[in-house]
Parts: sequence; C-alpha cells; structure tokens
Amino acid sequence: MLTFVIVYYGVLIAASCAAAYFKQRQAFQLLFSLLLVSMVVGIVGGAAGLRFIAIAACLLAAAAGISYAFREFLVQIAKPSLARELRTAPLTAAFGMFIIFVYAVAAIFAPWIAPFGQAEVIDSAFAPADDKMLLGADQLGRDMFSRLIYAARNTVGLALSATILAFLMGAGAGLWAAVRGGWFDTAFGRVVDILMSIPSLIFALLILSIFGTNLTIIVVVVAIMYAPRVFRLTRAVAGNVVVMDYIEAARLRGEGDWFLIRREILPNTTAPLIAEFGLEFCFVFLLMAGLSFLGLGIQPPTADWGSMVRENATLISFGEITPLIPAAAIALLTVAVNFVVDWMLFRSSGLKER
Amino acid sequence: MTHCKPLDLSRRNFLSASAAGAALATGILPSQLRAAPKRGGTFRIARGHGQTTDTLNPAIYENGFMAGLSYGYNGFLTGVAIDGSVEPQLAESWEASADAKVWRFKLRAGTTFHSGRPITVEDVIASIEYHRGEGSTSVVKPTLEPIESIGADGNTVVFTLFSGSADFPFTLTDLHLSIIPASGDGVDWRSGDGAGPYKIVEFKPGISVTLERFANDWDSGRGFFDRIECLSVIDLNARTTALISGDVHAIDKLDLKTVGLMARRPDLNIHSVAGNQHYSFAMSTIKDPYSDRNVRLALKHAIDREEMVEKILFGYGSVGNDHPIGRGQQFFNTELAQTAYDPDKAKFHLKEAGLDSLSVQLSAADAAFSGAVDAAVLFQNSAKAAGIDLGVNRVPNDGYWSDAWMKDPFSAVYWSGRPVEDAMFTIAYAAGAEWNDSFWDNARFNELLVAARAELDTDKRREMYWEMQAILNQDGGAIIPMFANYVFATGPDIVTSEPFASNWEMDGERWMERWSFA
Amino acid sequence: MDKLLRLIGQRLGLGLLTLLVVSVLIFSAVELLPGDLAEAVLGQAATEETVAAMREQLGLDRSAPVRYLEWLSGAVVGDFGNSLISGERVSDAISERFSNTLMLAAYAAVIAVPISILLGIMVALLRNTLFDRVANVMTLTSISSPEFFLGYILILYFSVKTGWFPAIASQMGDTSLGDYLYRTFLPALALVLVVTAHMMRMTRAAIINLLASPYIEMARLKGVSPLKVIVKHALPNAWAPIINVVALNLAYLITGVVLVEVVFVYPGIGQLLVDAVAKRDFAIVQACCLIFAATFILLNLAADVGSILTNPRLRHPK
Repeated sequence: MLTFVIVYYGVLIAASCAAAYFKQRQAFQLLFSLLLVSMVVGIVGGAAGLRFIAIAACLLAAAAGISYAFREFLVQIAKPSLARELRTAPLTAAFGMFIIFVYAVAAIFAPWIAPFGQAEVIDSAFAPADDKMLLGADQLGRDMFSRLIYAARNTVGLALSATILAFLMGAGAGLWAAVRGGWFDTAFGRVVDILMSIPSLIFALLILSIFGTNLTIIVVVVAIMYAPRVFRLTRAVAGNVVVMDYIEAARLRGEGDWFLIRREILPNTTAPLIAEFGLEFCFVFLLMAGLSFLGLGIQPPTADWGSMVRENATLISFGEITPLIPAAAIALLTVAVNFVVDWMLFRSSGLKER
Repeated sequence: MTHCKPLDLSRRNFLSASAAGAALATGILPSQLRAAPKRGGTFRIARGHGQTTDTLNPAIYENGFMAGLSYGYNGFLTGVAIDGSVEPQLAESWEASADAKVWRFKLRAGTTFHSGRPITVEDVIASIEYHRGEGSTSVVKPTLEPIESIGADGNTVVFTLFSGSADFPFTLTDLHLSIIPASGDGVDWRSGDGAGPYKIVEFKPGISVTLERFANDWDSGRGFFDRIECLSVIDLNARTTALISGDVHAIDKLDLKTVGLMARRPDLNIHSVAGNQHYSFAMSTIKDPYSDRNVRLALKHAIDREEMVEKILFGYGSVGNDHPIGRGQQFFNTELAQTAYDPDKAKFHLKEAGLDSLSVQLSAADAAFSGAVDAAVLFQNSAKAAGIDLGVNRVPNDGYWSDAWMKDPFSAVYWSGRPVEDAMFTIAYAAGAEWNDSFWDNARFNELLVAARAELDTDKRREMYWEMQAILNQDGGAIIPMFANYVFATGPDIVTSEPFASNWEMDGERWMERWSFA
Repeated sequence: MDKLLRLIGQRLGLGLLTLLVVSVLIFSAVELLPGDLAEAVLGQAATEETVAAMREQLGLDRSAPVRYLEWLSGAVVGDFGNSLISGERVSDAISERFSNTLMLAAYAAVIAVPISILLGIMVALLRNTLFDRVANVMTLTSISSPEFFLGYILILYFSVKTGWFPAIASQMGDTSLGDYLYRTFLPALALVLVVTAHMMRMTRAAIINLLASPYIEMARLKGVSPLKVIVKHALPNAWAPIINVVALNLAYLITGVVLVEVVFVYPGIGQLLVDAVAKRDFAIVQACCLIFAATFILLNLAADVGSILTNPRLRHPK
C-alpha cells in the first residue's frame, strides 16, 4: 500500500516537473492540479481514494490515447480534403467516432463476434460469468454478452432508421412550411399540433394495438411520433431565417422554393437540427424500452437494449449490476454520438476558435 | 422462508355426509379454535393489482386488489376454510336433498350490514339473482348456470338446481357472490355497504382503500387490525422497496427473479404456497394442425417442463401434467405417468401424424401470465430439438383476452384453478363450455363429468376423476407445463395463518380477517 | 400589440378546432382498437351473452357516430359525461389526479428550467472546456437511461440505502406543502434529470449557432466581455428555439410521465389514461386526451408568442 502511494506521488511530481521544464503549459496545469487534488483526496480518502483517482486517470488517458490514435488513423486513410477537417476534430469527437466505429463493427459482424445465438438457451438462469460466458447469463440462461452484441444490431438499426425517417419528414415539412408561409404553413402547424397533443406513449399504444407490431410499423410509428418535434424546431429556426434580407433578395431574383430551402435556409439551420438529431436518436432507444413496457416493442427473443434493461431492472435494488450493462451501452453510444454532433455543430457555426 | 406443504384436504368427508344424510353443519368455526391473536394497529399492504377503473360492482371484480377487498368488506353465505373445506358464514348451516338437487341454507340470526340494516332473505336472494338472468353482465354468470331457481322459506334460502351437484356450497364461496343490500329490483352496490369484518372508509380506485374494523361483526374471532390501508402498487420494484424500507407490512406477487436476494434479509418472511393456479398453452382442437391428436402429443413432448419451473417460476411451483388438477386436490391422479421432455418421442408422434416437420405460431403476452413471453421463448428453444419450428408471437397485453385468447389457435393462458375438480372441468374442458379454450370435445370425458357430479360414492368418484385426468393427459388440447405457487412476503411483527389457505392468493384472499400484529 | 392580440385570438380559435379534430381522432382510434369496453371489463371471464348484455346496458350497441355526437353535444356545454365503468362523473374522476399531475410538473419545472438555461449559457460560454464536457456527459448519461431505471436508482440510493426520502409518493390524507414537497422530491428529481439535458443542450446549440454572426463579431471586436456578448447580444436572438424546447419539455412533464408515476406510485393522470385505454372507457380517455391537447395548444401558443416578442423582425413583419 505504501509503495503504491509513494510511486503515485513520485510519478505525478516527476511528470509535472517535466511538463514545466519543457514549457508544456496545459499539461503542467493539468498534472499539477491533479497533484493538488490528490493530496486532498489522499488525506480524506486514504490510499483507496488515490487508487480511484489513478484508475480514473488511467481510463481517461487510455480513452484519450485511443481517440488520438484513431483520429490519426482516420486522417491517414481519408481523402486530403476530409483529412484536413478531421485534423481539427477535438479528442472528444475522435472518441465519439471511435465508439461509433466499435458499435458499427459489433452491429455489422454480430453473428461472427457473438459466441452464441441471441435466442440460444445455454445455462441456468443468472449463471455467473465464466470463460464461456463473459458477462454471465440472463434470466432465461441466455448469454448476456451475445445478446448485447446482437442488440447493437437490432436497436441501433431500428433507432437509426426511425430517427432518419423522422428527420426527413419533420425537417422537410418544417422548411417547406417556413418558405411557403400562409395557409400552407398554418395547415402544417395544425396537423403537427394535433399529432403532438396526443401523448406519445398513448399514441403508440393506440396505433400499435390497431396495426400490430411488426418492425416496419414500429419504425414508422416512432418516426411519426418524433417528426412533429423536429418540424416545430425546424419551423422556429427557419422562421427566423426566412425574415432575413438575403432571403427576400433571393425571392426577388425569382428563385423557387426548393432553391431557397437548399441553398439559403438549410445551411443556416443545420446546427440546431444536428444538435436535435443527437438527442432524438437516444430518445428513440428510450421509447423502445417504454414500448416493450407496454408489450409492444420488438418481438422476442430478439434482443434490444431497452427491453434488456427492463427485464432485469428490479435487480438494481439489490445492488446487482446486470441491468446497468445494457443501460451503459445506451449511455455510451448517446454520449459518443453527441460528442461528434458537438463538433459538427461547432464547425457549421463557422466559429474558428478552438 | 416458510414453505407450505400441499394440504391434504378433508372437506370431502364432510361434504358427502351432508349430501347423503342431510347432516347439518355445526356452528364451530376454525378461527375460534385458534388462540386469539392480538387486536389493534394499522396494517399497511401494497398489492400488485388494482386499476383506476375498479369499481365496487360485484359483477365485475376482476383483480386481486378487488378480491382481497371483497372478502374484507363483504359477507358471504359460505366460505373456504384454511384447510380447504367449506365453512359457514352468513349461512349458519345447510342441508341438501338426497339427490343433491335442492339446497337449503339457513341464515344466521341477528346479522347486520355496516349501516346497521339487518340482513334478510330478500337481500341474499337479490344479491345472487343480480348475477343471473337475462340482463346479467356478471363474470360469474356461467358458474351460476346450474341454478334453476332461488326461493325463500322463512329464514332459509332454497336453491333448486337443474341436476344434482354435491359441490354446490363451494359455488357460493366465490368472491363475486357477496351479500349486499337489496334495493328496488336489484342491489345497491354503490353505497359500499357490506357485511364483512371491515367497513370501507375511503375507496380510491387504482390508488388505495382504507378500511376500519366493523364493531358489530357476527364473528368475534376474526378481524384483528383496527385499520387497514391497502395500496395498489403495480410496479414490482416499488412494491419490493416499500416492504424493505418499512413503508408497508406486506406485499404480494413477489418478483420471483429477486426472491432469493430478498430472502437474505432476516426480518422479512417470504411465503410460498402451492395452490391450484396453473399456466397453460391452449391449442384449438378444431383447427389444423392441432386437430390431430399426434400433433398435440408431439408438442406436449417438446416442452421442457422442469426448465420452465426453474426459469419462469424460479422453483416456486411444480410441473404440470396437462390436466388442471393440483397436487393438493382430493382426486389428483397420483398414478398418472408424467409427460416429460422427449424430442425423440415428439418426432415419433409427428411421424405418426404424417409430418416431417411442424411450424406453429404461439401467441403470448405477459397479460396471460407473468413470464408468458419468456416461457414461449423457452418452448421455442426446446421444440427446436424435436424438429418443431415454434414461432413466438408476442401480442399486446392490452386486449389480450378479447383478441388473442380463444381467437388465435395456440395461445398462453392463466387459470387460477378451482377448489373442486368438477368446477374446473366444467368451466374449461366440458364440450361447449364458454371458456373451453381448446374447443375440446371428448365424448368419454363429457359422460364421466356428468356421472361424477352426481356420484356420491367417493371411491367411484375418484376412479372417474382419475380417468378424466388420464384422458386430458393423452388427448386434451391444453399443454399445462407448470403449477405456480402463490408467493408473497410479510414484514416483522405480522402473525399470519399457519399453514395458509391455498385456494387463492394471500391466504385465500382473506388476509384482512386472518392476520394480526404480533 | 393589437396584431399580437389578434394572433392570440386567432390561435385560440384554431386551438378549439384542433381539439375537435383530436376528439374525432381519439374516438375513432378507440373504436378501431380491437375489443370494446364490455370485452375488456369482463376479460378472461367474458362470454358472448354477458358481453352482449353489457353492451346493451351501456348503449355500446348503437352506431359509433351516434355515440360520438351524443358525447359532443354534452361536451360543448361542459358536460363530459360519466365514466362508463364506474358511472362516476368524468370531471370528478379526473380533477384530483390532474391537479396532482400539475403540482408535480410545476415542482419539476421550477427546478429544471432555470438550471438548464443557466447551465446552457455557462457551457456556451465555457464551450469545449472540461466543464462543458463534464456537464454534457453527466446530462447525456442521465437522459440515456430509461426513466423508470433512473427512478429505481434514485430509490435505491435516497430511500433504501440512506432513508432520506420515502420510496412511495402516494398521498394518504391531507398533507402540508412542506410535507408534499418532501414526499414527492424523488419523482420530481427524476423528472428534472429527464428534461434538463434536452433544454440545456438546445440553449447551448442556439447560442453557439449565433456566435459567428457578424454582429457578434462586431461586439467582440469592440472589446465586450464574452459573458456580455452571450447574454446581451446572442441570447435575445436565441430565445425562439430555447422557448420552443422549454415548451416541449413542460408539455412532456404534464403529459408524458406515466412511467415515473408508476415507479413512485404517484396518483397522477397518466396512469388513469393508460388504464382507461386498456378498458376502452371512452369518456375518460377522451377527457384526458383533450386536457393534454389543450395543455399542448396553450403551451405552444405561449412559445410562439414568446418567440414573436423576443424577435423584433417577427414583431414587425414587413
């Protein structure tokens, strides 16, 4: 224990001195503040606290390292124009891209990565983790790890298609309404008001009970539920752009609606839309969990993260971490997507500062 | 943890005596034989049932919340005692004609409703008639079909049946057949006036009900709490944490997944009671391919029952043998061979049916029974080895009973079971019965059913009921893989019945009158 | 201002029309749902005979348009009818639960709205710093767990382990305001966690979106401090999307909290609606949906009025 503490402080002091000597201002600030914090934590929490900080710092450093390497890798394989853009990406965005890449690989190659099928019952219920099953078994004795991998494919695929569909419908209608204005705008606004004024879970309950629960219908219903939100946002943002003088000028030039949307309004509204995309994408996951709560989600035994959380949620009250694993899978992807979105948002805002 | 052994029911001895010799039931109550528990205190309980649409209308009581409430605030002519026999309640005694067609129930004198109004023969007749007849919308209407007429004779209610039925007093123990004040042509259920050991103080559907002890109850040996607050807490986790954090004294419908973890807490008592509650997969025997007996047998051999008990019930139950009679029932066939998981035998039966492979769709929803979808997935997995491609069709919980059950040819079902064999067979397996979900029509079975109902010799009856179970096992359209225990928990300081009644959840749903503080 | 008033009047009129359309939609959806009230109430015990008898008693055997018009003629004079199952007046059945829902929504909104807008401004100011990242990761993580799961975790730590707050929020009898706030703290906190991220990120995005505009550049070149640039120059133009997202989330707090109600056993209107849909109790479903719809329309109107008031160009259209 003592060796650990001595080594811990020794490394920190040496590193911060080195940073100061080589005039690495940022690195020095970071390391030195870490040293100061460690002293406080060391006094309050003892060696256990220091160990926690060390593990957290190592994890962060590993994430940063991977992100850095991944960014360099992308820069090398990308075309020169794209590579220039990528070079400006902050580490968080690179981290986001890396996570998305990992998820994509898991989703695409699920049958080859997962050791078992998603429906295969191989052991007793809640069998503990061993060499064969990395994360143990679920309530029916299916391999948790394999189901997580397959769920990446099912959940992400479904959420992605639903979100894209929602954006195509919502943003398209929103931009069009903003440009056309008048009764056209009002009519769209009314339809959207009506759709939104029905609570989403009730809406889903009604529609899915009437039309059944196959995948296409779920995607369409989810898209219809989210499209109005996108519409309203697009309409509000585009509404601010439409009254600009340059739009008036373009109109006087005799440009058509489609040109106005594509060339004048869209470039000026992408930022909030992209920010919204990142969030809606993760709301869709949550909605899937809510739908399976009502017995309307993906058909079993198909795995999806939302229902995996739901099936084992009660275990959390007894300190079992099983339900946290799929929840963490959702959270990690959400955070990753939003890191990338933040970067794009920043880029499209035209701000050059870093 | 207390595990209750299946009860050896002895009520039949009493019953046959009453039917044959018109012997009178005595007034000795089981509750008077126990040492008197302590009175007082406010008992709080969280139940996993209850909806905002619940009403006090006895014709449509539908869930456990209402069942417990009904037995708490209502009086009944007869009741099911802890040992499974029938016991007198508002009816002090009864006698049957020799052919068991006419039943006379003598009312207890001096009983009143909570409002102080005396209970009369007219109230009793109106209460039962409310569920019968042309315009009745009662869920128990089919159960009362055997009654030809109800009449009064002084202080006695006389039931005339179409045909003899030795088990008739059991019919009147149903939770819907409460005795409530007559009013005009019908009954007045809106007032919430009842004749049970507790009176309703406030009823908020889907949230809670508060009751107070009824001071003038006819039975001083029941009802020990001063006050009861019964909460409807549908969410499993909320219910569990409410008990652990001491917010309530008892909860029902435990999450079987976490019972093991919960049992580690020494202050909680977890009760597991084996009853007649069973889960079934019903095949429509009038539709292909299920009309072929060999296909049914193939499916019966393609299901791994042991695994289901282990993974769906987490051991809190026992395997079923494709008939609805529980191990604790008097005429349970102890010599019938258990149908077991055997893919080869399933393949053999498929070949007998002239099929190489079989592809079927099983409809399931957790509304059918908790874990039904998981059970269907396990079935799918075990059937694969027998060359059967079983597709799981998860349907919405909402509307399950009206749209999937008895509409889809193969669906999951839940049966709470009945205390007597005749009742269970009659409502769900007799040809043409309203709830015959396998649309099964077996001539020999139907013949035995009628014969056994009026048969007063126990040995002969046993022979008949055993044969009926064997027929169901080999020919029936229901796959009954498991019998589920009733699993509930009480906190410290709560004294419960020992053993529990097994005819219904939560001590036969009569926990209000039977439990007390230590 | 006159124009604005006229706009409000117009929108309220349109709102009534919307309500009418919603009521038709809901009615037809409930009609289209498989099964009806009689079958749903009788459940597994339904027989053809009893279902038919119940339909007749409740008047469900009449044609759908007749029943709708009957309901409508009552509704226009403020009579929403009786619950078909319990016979209770719909207004009685709903009023207490709806006020519970409003209370909880207000509780959560009072905490969440200021926090998320302030946080949004702060992370826009400190964009791409450690603070920005940490705030983002925290809020994103909190919204990426299903809300019932968030509730379970809150209950585990604040109720079971520490015993600071009660796990069940259901009210028994009358309580004082302080007691109410205490009992419902956990559900309110769960709701705050659910809505904060969305509002905060939208505020941040809307502000950052404006930072490259020439007039901001101008202000910056004049030497205005970064805080002042954001609060005085960027924020006024960012209000439209912010107000919109706040309105969306307020509406969500009122209409979308069924799962939180279930987890914390809070007697709000969401559970009532789900139960009523399951039982096909048209009168209750209709009344609940109309309340939700009206909430939505009013909040939207408020958002639009807010957008107009904060944007001079919209205030004075050419």
